[in-house]
Amino acid sequence: MPSLLSKRHKVEDLDAVEFCFQQGWTDGLPVIPPTEDRVVAMLKAAGLEPNDHVGAIENRAVAVTAEKVALNAVMAGCRPEYMKVVVAAVQAICDPAWGYHGPGTSTGGAAVLMIVNGPVVRELDINSGDNLFGPGWRANATIGRALRLVMRNVAGSKPGLLDRGTLGHPGKLSYVIGENEVTSPWTPLHVERGFRKEQSTVTILAADAPHQFYNQLSNTAEGILTTCADDMRISGNVMGQPQYVLILAGEHMRTIAADGWTKAEIRKFVFEHTHNSHEHLKRTHRMAGAIQPGDDTRMRPLVAAPEDILVVAAGGEAGAFSAYIPGWASKRSSQAITKVVK
Amino acid sequence: MELLDPTVEQPAQAIDFAPRPKSLSGKRVALIENTKYNSDRLLEKIGDILKREHGVAEWKVFHKHNAGVPAHQEIIDEVKASYDLVVAGIGD
Repeated sequence: MPSLLSKRHKVEDLDAVEFCFQQGWTDGLPVIPPTEDRVVAMLKAAGLEPNDHVGAIENRAVAVTAEKVALNAVMAGCRPEYMKVVVAAVQAICDPAWGYHGPGTSTGGAAVLMIVNGPVVRELDINSGDNLFGPGWRANATIGRALRLVMRNVAGSKPGLLDRGTLGHPGKLSYVIGENEVTSPWTPLHVERGFRKEQSTVTILAADAPHQFYNQLSNTAEGILTTCADDMRISGNVMGQPQYVLILAGEHMRTIAADGWTKAEIRKFVFEHTHNSHEHLKRTHRMAGAIQPGDDTRMRPLVAAPEDILVVAAGGEAGAFSAYIPGWASKRSSQAITKVVK
Repeated sequence: MELLDPTVEQPAQAIDFAPRPKSLSGKRVALIENTKYNSDRLLEKIGDILKREHGVAEWKVFHKHNAGVPAHQEIIDEVKASYDLVVAGIGD
């Protein structure tokens, strides 16, 4: 392997972890010091050379090399075998349709939600079950952290400087889930998006925090999704029509599937039941202008089309809860992107 | 211990500003709107003031695709060909 190209720092009088803090390289938590042997192991595991081009963010005038991705993956605490997933995620944030300069900087405070599909979920023990968004799984905690460190250290999205999120949310530390393809009765997300079941993929969405909804009463698909739509109808950037992710966890998944509903039918139902009247949007100061005759029956859908609701089976087997996640801003500004894990 | 630097060293970019005109009289002004709510209304008012109080010959509002991207090539081409000045504004 050719030698690494990054600038080197001799650290003698200071703890290496403390040195990383002082350099402004961390997200506020301690990092693994990026030494040459660790970075080389990361590159080798993904079959990459240091200077391999991973992606470019045109509006930031930044090119991302494999070496910089590996360095930040080391610091995040990734095992070398996670590197290929981090690389796919970096390629996704470089996609012009994701529009880095928006979600990478915006006051809207988006995190990068990452949904992993395919065999790599089991191979790397990426959690798709209990405590889906919580702590406890190294892959979930470190893969998303690595991506965020790349955004900070390579693309310049430093909180308070270029990253000006007014509130942000905890998902900005790491926001990685797997889809539960083992007990899910439905077509996996990546297959719906045109990939083969045996391929592994990463789908990213610039996203708000998850909103958990409760339905511990209903034993029908329609009942659960009526609750979901009622919770979801006024959420996120209501007027922006972003994309959404709908996470259906074990109990709800089984109830909805028992009624024979497919993901397409779920999307259609939720789409049709999340319209808002112009009267309501104007009265609640979300839509500009005075209320006009007929505004109570003039409807605006929450998302532009049913396909803008990405349905994912994930979460614990027990508990009558699921969640929806509003995308950041609008689909016009940023779209979900899927890349293959190679 | 020797650590590798995870950041990129950005090459310094020198940007030359176009010389400011001595007068706005008779100039053509491009107003670049970023799609944020009310930014078009604000720029239209600015255009009217420039015309009424500073003798600007004409103004036109150009709309970006969205707030997170630079002005696209068609805007840049038309502004270069037909306008003397640019006002880029945000509404937020």
